Amino acid sequence: MHNDPDTLNSPADPAAGRLFVTLFAGMAETVGSRRLEIVWDGGTVADLRRAVGRERPGIGPLLERSAIVVAGRYATDDTAVSRGADVAIIPPVSGG
Amino acid sequence: MPAQQSAARSAGEPGLGPRPGDSAGGACRLVRDPIDGTAVLAAVASPEAGGNVLFLGSTRGVTAGVTTLGLDYEAHEPLALEMLRDLAAEAVRRFDLCGCGIVHRLGRVAVGEASIAIAASAPHRREAFAASEWLLERVKTTVPIWKCEEGLDGVRTWVHSGDMRTGLGGGE
Repeated sequence: MHNDPDTLNSPADPAAGRLFVTLFAGMAETVGSRRLEIVWDGGTVADLRRAVGRERPGIGPLLERSAIVVAGRYATDDTAVSRGADVAIIPPVSGG
Repeated sequence: MPAQQSAARSAGEPGLGPRPGDSAGGACRLVRDPIDGTAVLAAVASPEAGGNVLFLGSTRGVTAGVTTLGLDYEAHEPLALEMLRDLAAEAVRRFDLCGCGIVHRLGRVAVGEASIAIAASAPHRREAFAASEWLLERVKTTVPIWKCEEGLDGVRTWVHSGDMRTGLGGGE
C-alpha cells in the first residue's frame, strides 16, 4: 500500500491514482458534495477510511459508524480497493 | 398490474421496476410517487393464502412533542433495491410465505403519507404478521435508505443513529 497524499497529489506525479467516493445523506451534506475525490493508489478499506478521514476530518465521527461499499458489496476493513474502484460510504441507515 | 408498472416508471430510473420473479420472491420497488397500498397487497395475493397483511409506515407529524413538517428520503438505490429483494426472498423462505413485497418511497414525504409498505401473504395469519414485523425491522436497520426530518423551524436533520460497523442502523 502506497498512498502518501503529499507525493501523489503533486503535479510532478501525473500518474497519481484517484478515487471518487460516493456520499449520502448527512455525510454528503457535511461535505457539500455527493462525490469526494481522493488521491488513491490502491490499498484496503481500512486505508481508505484513513484517507477519507484525512481529507475531510469533519466527517470522522460519522465515518467511524459507517459501512463501506466496494463494487456494490459491503466490504470489510481488509477488502482491497483498487484505483478507480466504485466506492460508497454508508452512514447509519434510517429508512422505514 | 397497471398500478405497479406506473409506480415503477415514476421512479424515473432504469433498474428500479419489477423484474422477472418478483411476484414469487417479493414485489420490491423504490418509488417517488405516493404508495398505493392496495396494489402492494394485490401483488402478493395467492389462492393458497389465508392471511394477508399490509403494513404502511407513515410520516408522524409529532414525535415526542416535536413537530415534523415532512420527511425527505434518499437511498443508495441499486444496493437498497437489491437488499429489499433479498430480504423479501429470505422472508418467503423463513416464514413459508405465499408472497411478500416491500415498497419504499424516496424524496419528499408529507405528514400522513406512507413512506413504506410491506405486504405478506401466508397460508395462516401468524406467519404473515411475523414476516411483516421481521421485514420492517430488517429494512429499518440494514437497508441503505436515509430519512431527513424537516422541523417546524425549517431545520433539516438527517437521522444517523446506530452503527453500521456493528451491523445495524438505528431502526428509528
